[in-house]
Amino acid sequence: MKKKSIQIFSILLVAFYGLFVAWLYWAEPKSLGEVSAKAKETVENVTTKGQVVIGTYEVDQAKFGEGLTAFRADNFVLARDAFARADPERRDAKTQYYIAYSFYRQGFGRVSNDDDLFKKGLEQANFVIQLDKNYKAADENLKLQSPVELKNELEEGLKVTASDFNPLKVLRERK
Amino acid sequence: MNKFEEKKENSWLDAPDFEIVDGELLDVSTGEAIEQFEEETKIAPKKQIQKSKIKNQRPKINAQKTNSKTQIQYIFAPVIFLTVALLGGLRLEMPDNNFLFLKPALICLIFAAVLLVLFVRAGLIKFDGWFSEDFSMIENIANGGVLISLFAATVQIFNSLLPETGLPFWIISFCFFWTLTMNLFAEFDTKKIIKSLGALFGIAFLTKYLILSYLTAPASESFWKGILENPTQEFFTYLFDLPRFSNGTGYIQFFTVIFYLFGLFLLPQRLSEK
Repeated sequence: MKKKSIQIFSILLVAFYGLFVAWLYWAEPKSLGEVSAKAKETVENVTTKGQVVIGTYEVDQAKFGEGLTAFRADNFVLARDAFARADPERRDAKTQYYIAYSFYRQGFGRVSNDDDLFKKGLEQANFVIQLDKNYKAADENLKLQSPVELKNELEEGLKVTASDFNPLKVLRERK
Repeated sequence: MNKFEEKKENSWLDAPDFEIVDGELLDVSTGEAIEQFEEETKIAPKKQIQKSKIKNQRPKINAQKTNSKTQIQYIFAPVIFLTVALLGGLRLEMPDNNFLFLKPALICLIFAAVLLVLFVRAGLIKFDGWFSEDFSMIENIANGGVLISLFAATVQIFNSLLPETGLPFWIISFCFFWTLTMNLFAEFDTKKIIKSLGALFGIAFLTKYLILSYLTAPASESFWKGILENPTQEFFTYLFDLPRFSNGTGYIQFFTVIFYLFGLFLLPQRLSEK
């Protein structure tokens, strides 16, 4: 082997081995078996980021469909998980709106609302507004069609007012 | 005789392939003498061939030596240093032996930088033998790669030897800081610095992986059970805020320190010649 070839090989070796070591400290696998799982996850992340950079990023429609089915079946935890996997980069306003809406529907109560879920829903609604101010849902099952309406509903739900003690409140419908 | 014929007769004198032999012609009448002469003439070329063969082999051996030296410097040494960088922050958690990759503290980077300066001062690294405008770009980059791997290994060796948290971290950090700072102003040569580092790292290893490790209580199911079973160790673990690692950690870090010192031993003063 010529000296120059050895030097080129050395540069490549240091670069790749160094990256591998840096990756190990970043990914922090717990065991040797977990190394391959973490590697797969990293490759997927890098691929998605690459798609965003070159402008070919798209929501995974199959996973979005799974999420929608779970959402309509009131299985909101599963729905959120599927929506998150469908849009890992959180760039699609439609998917993110469904996530915000799932917090609202899960947190809604006839007697009292779940404040933690409503707070998360509020954060998510604000995030949707940041993504697309003019977003409007095409789904007729959603009575709150825009993130601003959803935000208002969540804010009202978090407030404690005299109307909260109205016994007729139990008759109100979830939107 | 014309000029053309004279040139033709003397042209053999100018020819470079002919050797000029100084000597007298012998009149030989017996057959034995001819045989002896023939034997002598037969032996002489063999010796010459052997000598020329040896002369031809020497550059090959030198080239092989240079080649293996280059391979050690550019491939073997970085692999050792990057392995040290890999293992230096690796710990095994106490109950399940799970991997725990600890990122180095900022002070490890500072110590590593000081130690590299010390290497240059002591002559372990001759800077002009690593980077020069006379070298090709690839050579400079390759030398830079080896230096980066050395720096990464040095950072991680401090990460390995410094206790992770609590009072021992500050005490041993101060000891390292004191020793390295004092060494900066001392007269060193390459052998002395490697011996000094061996001693320094050896003491730090013994302190962390024997003494402090001995004082650390094993993981127990509950706080009260731990106090009842190992009251003294629990006390020291609480007092010094000692992390609980599996015994395998000490074995891994022992080989990490050995690899690092071996890597330093392999490191040449000058990676390239002008």
